[in-house]
Amino acid sequence: MVKLEKNEVRVAVFILFPVLILLVFVVLKLGYSFASSTKDIYLKVDSISSIKNGTQVKVKGYTIGRVVEIIPVYQPALHFLAVMRVENEIAMYEDCTAVIQNQNIIGDTIIELRNPETKQELLKEYAVIEGIEYVNLEALLQDVHVMLATVTSTVGVLRDISLDSRSNIRVLLGNLSRSVETVSTVLNDSQKDIIEIMRSFRKTAKTMDEISTELKRHPLKFLMKGDK
Amino acid sequence: MYVSVNVPGFIKKIVQRILSTWNGVQSFYFYVVSIIKSFKSIRYLRFRSLYSIVVNQTRFTGIDALPLLMIIALMLGGTVIIQAHTNFPKFGIESFIGNLLVIIIARELGPLATAMIVVSRSGSAIAAEIATQTQNREILSLELMGIDTKLYIILPRIIASIIAIFSLIIIFDIVAFFGGYLLSISTVYIPIGVFIQTLLDAFSFNDLFLTILKSLIYGILIPLIACYYGLKPRSNFEIPIYVSQAVVRTLLVIFVINAFISALFYF
Repeated sequence: MVKLEKNEVRVAVFILFPVLILLVFVVLKLGYSFASSTKDIYLKVDSISSIKNGTQVKVKGYTIGRVVEIIPVYQPALHFLAVMRVENEIAMYEDCTAVIQNQNIIGDTIIELRNPETKQELLKEYAVIEGIEYVNLEALLQDVHVMLATVTSTVGVLRDISLDSRSNIRVLLGNLSRSVETVSTVLNDSQKDIIEIMRSFRKTAKTMDEISTELKRHPLKFLMKGDK
Repeated sequence: MYVSVNVPGFIKKIVQRILSTWNGVQSFYFYVVSIIKSFKSIRYLRFRSLYSIVVNQTRFTGIDALPLLMIIALMLGGTVIIQAHTNFPKFGIESFIGNLLVIIIARELGPLATAMIVVSRSGSAIAAEIATQTQNREILSLELMGIDTKLYIILPRIIASIIAIFSLIIIFDIVAFFGGYLLSISTVYIPIGVFIQTLLDAFSFNDLFLTILKSLIYGILIPLIACYYGLKPRSNFEIPIYVSQAVVRTLLVIFVINAFISALFYF
């Protein structure tokens, strides 16, 4: 058996330690995991009124894990990290959301994980997801009530606007028909006047014709006629 | 026939300086070539004698430098995090600290600081040791015994230096990362798992390759330059001058090479 001196052992440890760390790094970087079939994901929440140890984590109603630990974080402001231990086999993507909700009206709170519509990189172990705030049923009903009241008032306003508009349109149409009538009267009157003017023109032309005939026949007589 | 020309003093000095640098580069080149040529006599060297020098040099360059290196790494990691906390917004910093540490520590400061520690500790020691051996005619005695001194003195030191620098860079990075982490949790809580994951994401295979490349280059250059200047002194009075030159020139070369590698791979 080879006997190693103290120096050699120290040097061997000095060389092997970084090499080992590099190997671990390469293995992790290549996507392998030393962990089991579950992975831990952190859920960041402002309050833990609804979450407790054991709260179920679901995807589309199927339970994939549960909350195993809640860590209070004091910096920069008090918030909590709930450690969710979930199955590795369910593919969760990086931009997934975590909605904290009631199972039914009197049911326990669950954390519903929802994947984004498009496929992305897989959610890695120890990733942090921002939890969407828990809303209880009473507050939800109150919000719905407020929303319905707002919708009713909006519909009333719309109805008033449509009634006002209708009367305005009616007045507008009346005014328009009156204007059309006035225009047609003006046009009729103008037509009579135009006929008169044309007639007068014709008379004038006739007189001029007579004068020119007389002038052609007896020019001197016509010229001297006035002197007498 | 010679023509005498009046040359101003400062131009004369510049020309002399350029010529002296050129002569130095030429001399270093011949020195490197002579080492490469001496590899043909490697079969005459006993493995055991080389092995003991490598082990001793690795212990001196690597293990003995660990306390100093760890303190410096801890301080540097802490400094980077303090600056990050002071100058960056606190919101969302947990996902940024890992990247920052990898960019500053692993890519640049780690290899550079490690090389500086090795140059200042081991580079100067190697130069002084070889200069003293030369003055005591120990090198001459080895040559008279038919031992290729270039291989016997320089090769084990290069091997030891490569091993030590590689290990020291990795240890420096780890200590700096966790020093930074310990300091950062005093202001922003980051779960250790999240921190390690961020580091893993930020540290690429390219960074790993460059770390190995730098440790290889520094590991070859530091003992090479130190031995070059160690073999130079012709009297005892010249020893401190050449030791000082060895440290300064090695540092200069390391900074230039570090900048060159960074520009080549990250620019």
